[in-house]
Amino acid sequence: MSELATITFTPPLAALLLNRPEARNALSIDLLRAMHARIDELTARIAAASDIHVVVLTGAGKSFCAGMDLKQVLAHPTAPLELLASLAEFCLKVRTLPAITIAAINGAAIGGGCGLCTVCDFAITHADSKMGFPEVDLGVCPAVVAPWLVRKIGAGAARAMLLRGGIMSGEQAHRLGLVTECVRTREALDAAVKTLADKLAAGGPNALRATKALLNQLDGSLDHAQAMRAAELSAAVLATAEAQAMLRAKLQE
Amino acid sequence: MIRTEWRTHSPRPVAIVLLDRPDKKNALTPAMLDDVCAALAQAGRRAGAIVLGGSGTAFCSGFDLSLCKDDSRALAAMLTGLSRAIRLMRELSVPVVVAAHGAAIAGGCALLGGADVVVAHSACKLGYPVVRLGISPAITAPFLIGAIGAGRIRERLLGGQLVSGDEALACGLAHQLAASAEQVIDDAAALAEILTAKPACGIAATKAWMNELDGADRHANEALATSLSLVGSLEERERMQALWA
Repeated sequence: MSELATITFTPPLAALLLNRPEARNALSIDLLRAMHARIDELTARIAAASDIHVVVLTGAGKSFCAGMDLKQVLAHPTAPLELLASLAEFCLKVRTLPAITIAAINGAAIGGGCGLCTVCDFAITHADSKMGFPEVDLGVCPAVVAPWLVRKIGAGAARAMLLRGGIMSGEQAHRLGLVTECVRTREALDAAVKTLADKLAAGGPNALRATKALLNQLDGSLDHAQAMRAAELSAAVLATAEAQAMLRAKLQE
Repeated sequence: MIRTEWRTHSPRPVAIVLLDRPDKKNALTPAMLDDVCAALAQAGRRAGAIVLGGSGTAFCSGFDLSLCKDDSRALAAMLTGLSRAIRLMRELSVPVVVAAHGAAIAGGCALLGGADVVVAHSACKLGYPVVRLGISPAITAPFLIGAIGAGRIRERLLGGQLVSGDEALACGLAHQLAASAEQVIDDAAALAEILTAKPACGIAATKAWMNELDGADRHANEALATSLSLVGSLEERERMQALWA
């Protein structure tokens, strides 16, 4: 079996790839475990060699990440908390990585998948990608992604976006501040990501790291307790009969 | 001077709470603010989503300052009532959509601070022209910082310039624009119908979590105290009386 998440080093760049294309890179326990292993590897390399300054996070295949693996969410009563806590921890690792992160949103980035884009320092997509937080449409609370969205687009816009739910195009996501850049087509994405990554990598590595660390401190990104409480809250809502029924129906689709 | 219309919808109805004093552009009185709170609380028990709007040509022109000419007690009562209304809008477990058509000025604009979503239109006028009256718009500040950011709020509250609906959308004061003033309440109701159809549990948990994340309610009392501290002051009395001289 091929690796569920891979990392490629081409100093000063690195690329972290979600590699579960047959399931639209849905976040399963195993995928999250692989993502943790790769980012830990990356962190260790940066600590030892300090040769990676920009990291691109992207998805294999047509989707960036379809969100939580619903089959696993419904499989066992303790699965949601395990998945959500693992996602919350991974988000914290991405945020505190001493390198600049770019989400290259190749296709659908939904729910927790869209949350991963929100955590990154930069996000680029194309006009036809699908992004959004449809959690409330399924009776679920997007608690884990909410603090990151608040930091990204502000509390008022985040409130309106999460309560309205639904899915938007890459172009709309750009208008609402969810992504930094939106190119016209999927074909144009890789070149745009490369251009941005090269430009960022030209910055002084220490200046980049220090600035990112300060921004994290200023906007509350280091609040580990809040991230864990968010996972518990989301898991509690997931356990309600209403959410379970909605998710089962969704899975049958 | 408050009227609630119900629109049946599955699984729960939508309540449209209207400020209903159109001859005065829905200028707020202490009694109206009490009634708004009562109407919102009642709507919150039955509805799946609430629209707060206004009858006539404007959503709300702010406080009825004619009540403040000789006596600052009405002003204190209105500030207190307004603070309570904003907090109540946020405390309700169902989403509140504010339909801002025509004008949302001063206390009327402050009501936007309690909204989960604000629908306006291009030609709408919004803003807080109150410091020139010796009144501090402090009560609205904690709620507005989340919407438009800590940088922009200084300009809005201290400068007092009105903005258009387009500018409100750009700065985050509004989230959606209707095609015309006449269309605002219908668009807000349509959105409320979409929201009421969503599972209640997820919506309520999400709204409560957003309240906790922006933390505005924790500052509501000090903000109200700041606004109240100026009521009855020489500056406020002189400027208020000059308005009616």
